[in-house]
This record gives sequence, C-alpha cells and structure tokens, in this order.
Amino acid sequence: MNKIWRVALYEYRRNVFKKSFLFTLLSIPLMVAFSVGLGFVLTSLENNDLPVGYIDQAHVMDEAIPAPVSGQSEPVIFISFQSENEARASLEAQEIQAYYVLPSDYLETRRIELVYAKKPGENAVRQWYDFLQINLLSDQPEEIASRTASGTDVTVRSLDGKRTMADSGPTFGNFMPVFISLAFLALILMSSGFLMGAVAEEKENRTMEIVVTSISPLQLIGGKLLGVIAIGLTLLVTWGLIVLAGVLAARQMGIGWFQDLGMDWSVVLATAAIAVPSYVLVSALMITIGTMVTSTQEGQSFSSIFIIFHMIPLYVGVAFLKNPANSLAVTLSLLPFTSLMTIAMRNLFYSVPAWQVAVSVCVQTLGALGAIWLASRAFRLGMLRYGQRLRWRRLFQSRQLGE
Amino acid sequence: MHPIEVSQIAKSFGDTQAVVDVSFDVKGGEIFGLLGPNGAGKTTAIRIVLDIFQPDRGKVSILGGPMSEDKKDRIGYMPEERGLYQDIPLERCLLYLASLKGTPDQKARKTLNDYLERFDLAEHKSKKVKELSKGMQQKAQIINTLLHQPELIIIDEPFTALDPLNLQLVKDVMQELRAQGVTIIMSTHQMQQVEELCDRILLINDGINVLYGNLDEIRQRFSGHAVMVRTGSNLPELPGVKDISSHNGDFKLTLMEDTTPQDVLKTLTARDIILEKFEIAVPTLSEIFIRVIEEGDAK
Repeated sequence: MNKIWRVALYEYRRNVFKKSFLFTLLSIPLMVAFSVGLGFVLTSLENNDLPVGYIDQAHVMDEAIPAPVSGQSEPVIFISFQSENEARASLEAQEIQAYYVLPSDYLETRRIELVYAKKPGENAVRQWYDFLQINLLSDQPEEIASRTASGTDVTVRSLDGKRTMADSGPTFGNFMPVFISLAFLALILMSSGFLMGAVAEEKENRTMEIVVTSISPLQLIGGKLLGVIAIGLTLLVTWGLIVLAGVLAARQMGIGWFQDLGMDWSVVLATAAIAVPSYVLVSALMITIGTMVTSTQEGQSFSSIFIIFHMIPLYVGVAFLKNPANSLAVTLSLLPFTSLMTIAMRNLFYSVPAWQVAVSVCVQTLGALGAIWLASRAFRLGMLRYGQRLRWRRLFQSRQLGE
Repeated sequence: MHPIEVSQIAKSFGDTQAVVDVSFDVKGGEIFGLLGPNGAGKTTAIRIVLDIFQPDRGKVSILGGPMSEDKKDRIGYMPEERGLYQDIPLERCLLYLASLKGTPDQKARKTLNDYLERFDLAEHKSKKVKELSKGMQQKAQIINTLLHQPELIIIDEPFTALDPLNLQLVKDVMQELRAQGVTIIMSTHQMQQVEELCDRILLINDGINVLYGNLDEIRQRFSGHAVMVRTGSNLPELPGVKDISSHNGDFKLTLMEDTTPQDVLKTLTARDIILEKFEIAVPTLSEIFIRVIEEGDAK
C-alpha cells in the first residue's frame, strides 16, 4: 500500500474509532430529530380530536356542509345540538371538547359564544371557522364557496424571474442549496479542525522527526488530508442518510414543507466551485496553525477564529434577506471564509450574478495558493520546534527558509 | 564508496553558526561515534545527513548518493527528541511507524514480537505508550529504529534512561547488528559505552572537526604523556615530570612535552626506587574528550 494511504488509514482509524467521534456522528442528527420531534409533540398536544358541538340559533347551518380539511389534520366532527342544555350535558360527559352558540342575531352582530371546560384544540378552532365560512357561503356556487374557504396560493417571484416560492415561505427544495452549503461548511470546519489536530499531534508527540525521515512531508500532509476528508465524508454521508430518511418519512406523513424537493442545480454547482478552493484554503491554514502551535489544545483555540469568520454571513443574514444585492452582500460574497455561505443565502431569494461567483472562485483559489505557500514555509520552519511556538513574523522572514 | 560521506558541511540559523566545517566518512559495518559537548553541532550534522536540513554548503552522500525517498526505508533513525504516539497502544504505534518504512505487515509483526520478547515488553504491547515507564519508552524507541531491519542506523543517545541490564542488552544488540554488517552512527555523551562499542569516532566542537579516526589510534596518540607507577614508598620530585597524582594506590606521572617514559624509567632506576608497576598510561576517552575540548576553548 502506498505510504500516503497508510497515513490516511491511520488518521481515519485513529479518529473514527474514538468514542468522541460516535458522539459527534450522532449528536447533530439527534439534536435535529429532538427539535423536530419536540415541535411535533407540542403541536399534537395543542390539538384535540374530540367532536365540537354547536347550537345554531341563527339558522345559518340548518343543512350543514362539511368543510374541506387541508394538510395532515384529522377532520373534527361538528355535532348540532337543539338546546344549550343538551350541549352542556354532552360537554360534561366529555363527549365533546367544547360547543359554540350562534345566537339568533349572529348575522347582525357577528358575535358567537364558545363554551368549554378546557381550552379546545387549535385544530378544532381552525376547522370550526372553515366549517362556519363554507356554510355561510352555501348559497354561492360550490366552486366559489370552496375557493373562498381554501384561500389563495400566492407565488412570490424575484424581479429577474429566476426565483419563485410560495408566500408561505421557501420549501425544503428552495432551502436545499443552503443546506448543501451548510454541509460543505461543516465539512470544511470539521475536516480542517481534524487536520490541524493531526499536524499538531505530530509535534505534541514529537514524532515529526521520525515521520519525515520515513516519508516525505507531502506524503505526510497528503495522507492526513485524505484521512480527514474520509472522516468528513463519513459524517456527511451518515448525516445525509439520516436527513434523507427523515425527509422521506416527512413526505410520507404528508408534511407540506417537504413535498417540493426540486432544486436549482446551477446554484449547487456554484456552491461546489467555491467550496473546493475554500476547503483547500482553510485546510492549508490549519496545517500552518498545526505546525506553529505547541499543542492540539492551543491549535483549537486559534482555529475557532476561522469558525467565527465563517459564521459572519449567518449573523448578518437579515441584511441579505432584505436586499440580496446590497454592497455588504456583494463584499461578503467575494471574501474568503464568508463567500460560501453568503452566496448560498443570497441565492435563496435572488440569482447571484455569474461574475460574482467567478470572482469569488478566483479569490478563493488565489487565497488557497497563498495558504499552501504559507503552510509549506510553516511546516519547514515549525516541524522541529517541539514545545516552541513559531511566530507569524518569522514565517515571512526570508532568511529563515533554510531551516 | 562508504555508506556515509560528509564533506565540509556548514549550516547556520540566523546569526548562529551551528556547523562550521564538518567532514567525515562512516565505513560499512562499523559503529561510528559522533561526539561533542552540548551545542557542538552534532544534531544539526545528523539532520543534514538525513536531509532534514539543507546545508548552506558542503556535500553529503548517503548509501551511495544524495538522500532519496527510497533510501529512507533503509535507514533507522532514533532522534534526540524521543517521540511515539502517546495515545495509542504500543504495538499499533510501532506497526504503523514500521509501515511508513515500507515493511510488510506480516514481517513487521513477526520482527516486532521477537523484539518485544527480547526487550521484555511483550506483556505491555497493548498498553498505551503514555502508560509505559521512561525506560520502557526508550526501549520501544530503539525497537522502532530497528524494526524495519535497516542497513544504516543513526541513533542519538541510545542509553538514556536504561538500567544496567537493559544497557547491556542494547549494547549486545548493537554488536550483533555490526556483526551482521549493519552500519551504526551513535551520538552519545557516555564515553565508556563509546570505548566499548565504537570502531571510530568524530569529536566535534563549535561546529568543526577536532578529533577524527580510529579509537585505538586516537588513544595511542594521546598516550605517552603520562606513566602509571606503583612503588613501596612516596615519590620524590623528578626531572621532566610535570605532575604527580595518586590514583587507587598508583602514582600517575604527567610528563613534560620533551620527556619520554624511558627517561622517567631511567631516572627512577638510577635513584634505586623499587618499582612494583611501571606502564604507559593510556588515557580514557573521557580524559581525551576533556583535554581536547579544553585545549580548543583555550585557543
């Protein structure tokens, strides 16, 4: 086996077979599943499927028409009572969750009374108004009554006509490029963290001198990089499979947000074009840090600075949502560290001009080349400085290169 | 062509001149001692030989030419800074490092088991490296240097942290390897071990060669300026003798530059001093080391 693969395999096994890795692997999907699950539980607790009674003294529902039920809600049964005494008895027997009284002057006053022992479910209240509305419109043609009851579907379209979405907000498919960017970002940050740790570990264990007299620095770094990419892919594939299973389950359950999975592949390609040089850029910087610091712990505190840089677009995202073409959005789209997330977020509501994507790719590529140059200098200068930190100033002093 | 040929290498770091002018050859199948006081430039010279550092000038030939990736598999190196992966089991650590030297897994496992048995580490192979004592880690480091069965070994302070039993074990292993034709460069401050093991030495001070050659020849070269004498009585002052000191019941007579041992013997017999012992004092390597370094510093 080629030595580069041996280093990669060692790095992969060393990290993946740790208990902490299993925690990393499962913690994020579990956290997401917990949040989603908690949301479903809270929503279901707000619902109540018991029938609802009504006393129609206004005679607007003498021949009641059932209202169409949208989404995944179970239809609530509405029972007509002749008198309030009957309705109250049924309520006390817990056969119904509540009852409405439409007084005889309802059409003039709009006033309705709701009687309950315990607040009725959100689904029951919602369906009651649909039920009432469609019955009030019973003298209209069915098409108009039904359209009025079900409301209007508005499609929001961007000025350039390239982005459309429902007024209820972006669908899961609209969000896919952002999710993919977040996944890339997670891969970049995790992999680079692992890489920095892998290089710093050689210094911490003082194995650098033994290793570089066994293999070339290129094989060492290349092997570590491959191992770390494999670790990142393991995480991404696992998370991806869990997300896929979750999305399929959600579609099966008829949850509207997950029905439209269509995405703009040109956005995905643009994201990938920026992500690859960004990955190289951050990895090379992490190697630089790994060879400059004295321990893994010290390196981690340095690497957190890069995480903050990457998170800037998320902090200022509101500005992009209001105006995806403003100067802050354009600037952050071109800069290293912020470009990936900024372009993905802007693409949600707006078609980012191709020239901005092209300039960003160029900037990331130039940054990556510079970072590789810096990493090679740092490696040569710092690899044998056990227990000593290499100062940034020394990296740029040309006479030190011979070390 | 010798396994190692070093010609007039020099290396500086900023304003510090670590190696000024060092040249030496290491012959095949010998144990070569690279000696010098702390900061003399030994480690830098070794790192230049191993192509970790590029020399500012001079030439190095290792195993027949410049260093290449292929040659790294034929060299075993134990650096001054000891290093093993602390958080993984000893066996996994050593097998991984052997794999980086291109050793097939099966072969490495067999050789490793043999060495672990011999160095009394077999029962500790599943322990994490950080759980081993200093002496055990030192032995593990030596095994790591030998595991891929190199033809050239460069070893820096191999006897540190070893008890007398393990020290003898390491010496035995080194002598066996020499008998098998393996070339060994050893850098150490333990002069007694150098005297027992090395065929030739190079003494560096302030980055330059100060003493180089066959160990026996060097000791002969430095003998003759003193004689060891045992008598039944005290010795009077003698012409041509610079100093008389007592050594375990014997007298060590340090001679002036133009005085020979024969001159002293003649003087002693002429004065009817009864001699129980008279021999030319051969200096220890430690004495030679101190003398050469002190003379160098005085200049």
